[in-house]
Amino acid sequence: MEERTPVLEMRDIVKVYSDGTRALNGVTIKVYKGEIFGLLGENGAGKTTLMKILFGMLKPTAGKIFFQGSEVHFKSPADAIARGIGMVHQHFTLVEVFTALENIILGKEGHGLFSKIDVKNAKKKLQTLMDELNFQVPLDVPVENLPVGIQQRIEILKMLYRNVDVLILDEPTAVLTPIEVKELFDVLRKLKAQGKTIIFISHKLNEVMEITDRVTVIRKGKVIGTVNTSDATPQLLARMMVGRDVVLRIQKKPHKPGKTVFRVEDLWVKGDRGEDAVRGLSFEVKAGEIFGIAGVEGNGQSELIEAIAGLRDVEKGRVYLMGKDITGKKPRELYDMGIAHIPEDRTHMGLILEMSVMENAILGMYWRREFSNGWRLIDWGKVEGHAKELIDEFEIVAPGTRRPVKSLSGGNQQKLIVAREVSKRPEFIIAAQPTRGVDVASTEYIRNYLVKLRDEDKAVLLVSADLDEVLQLSDRMAIMYEGQFMGVVKPDEVTEEQIGLMMGGVSQ
Amino acid sequence: MNLSQSLRGYLKPFTESVLAILIGVLVGAIVLWASGYDAIAAYKALVVGSVSSLTNFAQTLSQSTPLILTALTFAVGSRTGLFNIGAEGTVYFGAIAAVGISQAIPNPLSGIIAGILVGALWALPAALLKVYRGVHEVISTIMLNWIAFYLAVWLALSVFVSPSNANRTVAIPPSARLPLLMRNTTLSWGFVVAVLTAIVVYVIMWHTKLGYEMRANGYNPRAAEYGGINPKAAAIWSFVIGGMTAGLAGAVQVMGVPPSYAISQGLANVYGYGFDGIGVSLVGRDHPIGIIFSGILFGALGAGATKMQQAGVPLEMVKVIEGIIIVAVAIPGLLDLINRMFRRGRV
Ligand SMILES: Nc1ncnc2c1ncn2[C@@H]1O[C@H](COP(=O)(O)OP(=O)(O)O)[C@@H](O)[C@H]1O
Ligand SMILES: [Mg+2]
Repeated sequence: MEERTPVLEMRDIVKVYSDGTRALNGVTIKVYKGEIFGLLGENGAGKTTLMKILFGMLKPTAGKIFFQGSEVHFKSPADAIARGIGMVHQHFTLVEVFTALENIILGKEGHGLFSKIDVKNAKKKLQTLMDELNFQVPLDVPVENLPVGIQQRIEILKMLYRNVDVLILDEPTAVLTPIEVKELFDVLRKLKAQGKTIIFISHKLNEVMEITDRVTVIRKGKVIGTVNTSDATPQLLARMMVGRDVVLRIQKKPHKPGKTVFRVEDLWVKGDRGEDAVRGLSFEVKAGEIFGIAGVEGNGQSELIEAIAGLRDVEKGRVYLMGKDITGKKPRELYDMGIAHIPEDRTHMGLILEMSVMENAILGMYWRREFSNGWRLIDWGKVEGHAKELIDEFEIVAPGTRRPVKSLSGGNQQKLIVAREVSKRPEFIIAAQPTRGVDVASTEYIRNYLVKLRDEDKAVLLVSADLDEVLQLSDRMAIMYEGQFMGVVKPDEVTEEQIGLMMGGVSQ
Repeated sequence: MNLSQSLRGYLKPFTESVLAILIGVLVGAIVLWASGYDAIAAYKALVVGSVSSLTNFAQTLSQSTPLILTALTFAVGSRTGLFNIGAEGTVYFGAIAAVGISQAIPNPLSGIIAGILVGALWALPAALLKVYRGVHEVISTIMLNWIAFYLAVWLALSVFVSPSNANRTVAIPPSARLPLLMRNTTLSWGFVVAVLTAIVVYVIMWHTKLGYEMRANGYNPRAAEYGGINPKAAAIWSFVIGGMTAGLAGAVQVMGVPPSYAISQGLANVYGYGFDGIGVSLVGRDHPIGIIFSGILFGALGAGATKMQQAGVPLEMVKVIEGIIIVAVAIPGLLDLINRMFRRGRV
């Protein structure tokens, strides 16, 4: 196998984003014709970045790409498609109000300004394609009315309709039900039989084991290794995926858990598409401990947080705070009862970007007496004082309390949120992705602060896709996969292999 | 430091609006000139008609009165993230309410209160449809405007029709009228009421918890909900406050404008203010204080139009010029609005 020449080679690819993030550090992959090539790695490993480079969406900082025997420099996806490389993105790019047919032929048929689009012919061609693969989609329904699984098929058909030889699928199963996954795999096998080459990106071990021929594992922008799938075991892949350098441990006092502050009992929550995103979770967080939830994003973490923070309906189950049933309570009541919430989406939820720093400093606490004057109006003087306290205490760099919060850098925005939430004097803090997209200094600051809260006997629920963060900060941690915990462990008693297996959906 | 920070926030919209006015005037001049009219003379007439004398300026302020109030309706909606264009229909009912109540309790305060209350009530259908059934407010308020129109015409012609003149309703008795601020003009205390209302709306929007809730919801409903705000309550209050100012516009318009102090046939003297208010609000950047000034600008255009006609420019042409200036002036505010709507992920 190895002596054949690859149809595609990416050699020593380096990518440094404009903000300085080193996403890829000299990655080399070889893909052979007619194989299903797996690219495995946890969140942020650089999988999407690498494929966007191949697809002409990003320019590599360094490195070369060879395709069908010669070096190529794709300037755009259109370039890549013209040469026979197609990509289906993690997030779809369909025009929602167009039908499947319109989406598929969009940009392909009818080039000149006045040239007529031969819809009939296009439809016939598509029908043949769908019949061959046994991969049907309704062609005349607006895409927005179709389920995600079908939308993904449309994306795939869109590429096949353009006659690509290499098809890149970026985490295609993330949005699919188990049955849809099976159907997708059937199609991939047929495409392989037709001689197409497929690059399959995933972090799910079982899927990679089932569908790929060879797999390259990348971690933090570096290739860890490439193996023939038939020689691999889930354990091996798990180790390759999460194995990590020894991380500096944050200074922490010994874990001395107190009374139970927060408790969840058999919690069921639905996601936006009506699926069961959280499936019967039970856990508790005690005073003086950080309970971490790790796992690849999209496994129900967001829904879990929203449900306990009063932003999403609970289907079934109960949530308790200090013994009181708080299921279904609204955010305002929850805050008054002693919950604080650092939301995962800083710019869409945690802050109102157009409002001023001081207006944002009272979000979720603006009704408190301390911010009112005798006329029951908001006392902006007091609010400003509060904002200044937050700025001073957390060393937030802000151009002024009356300037819109969008003029702050990401790290400072996040610090403002943390500062505000802590100023609510909570007993229980939900910290979701507290350091995502935050600079190193702010990250350290925020992590240390969470530990400080724990040492002050608060209960902290940390949810993060950053495994290091969960390992470093948590006293106990759970790994979430498809709405359930694959296990609850102590960070210093678990091996990376075990964690990798749990993250990939193999229960311990 | 703080003052300069706040001033900086206002300076940009202010200069943008002033620039737009100048551009509108310039383009208007070109159109006038290209159509064979004397642009200078026409503009001179406009200025003379609107600000040259105290009487003319009083006319300007008088015309601005209902516009300021209906612009507030749109502004409060817009700041809450709603495209509330229901002021038009609400004005009719405010006027009817004032005419009706004044027959029973003939004093100005009762008319004003009745206008405000009826305006608040008439805002409820659209508010409830929006909040509980998800009906888009543009659809509901347009339809409700038509319902209001025919209902008001019927009320005016049958219930409140004047026994002596079938072309209008009964008049508001003298004791219930808003006194004039200046003799031989149409400027009444109504203008003062409008300015005070704008200030009250400003205080509500920027100095109360409710205003904070409405504005937060307007920028980002998701973040507002996270912040402990009830988006439904914020929307309902926004409709209700908007309804109050529009209802007040109708009441003030019949209670304060001589000579008739009644609603004329086809609602002629209370018609159109709701829609013009949208332009006024855009020019005033959906800000109550900005609206006072833009309302006066629109009032000036209205008052000057009569004089322009006398200078030989036909009414149609006067309307064209008015339109150009309004469009030019409204563009920055419109961009603002589109920007805000876009950010919320809805249009
Ligand atoms: N547009 C961007 N600007 C800056 N950093 C980015 C950008 N996109 C991705 N990154 C960073 O590059 C790294 C790799 O990301 P990505 O390729 O999306 O990983 P994966 O697809 O394996 O989850 C991450 O650290 C991510 O935060
Ligand atoms: Mg990715």
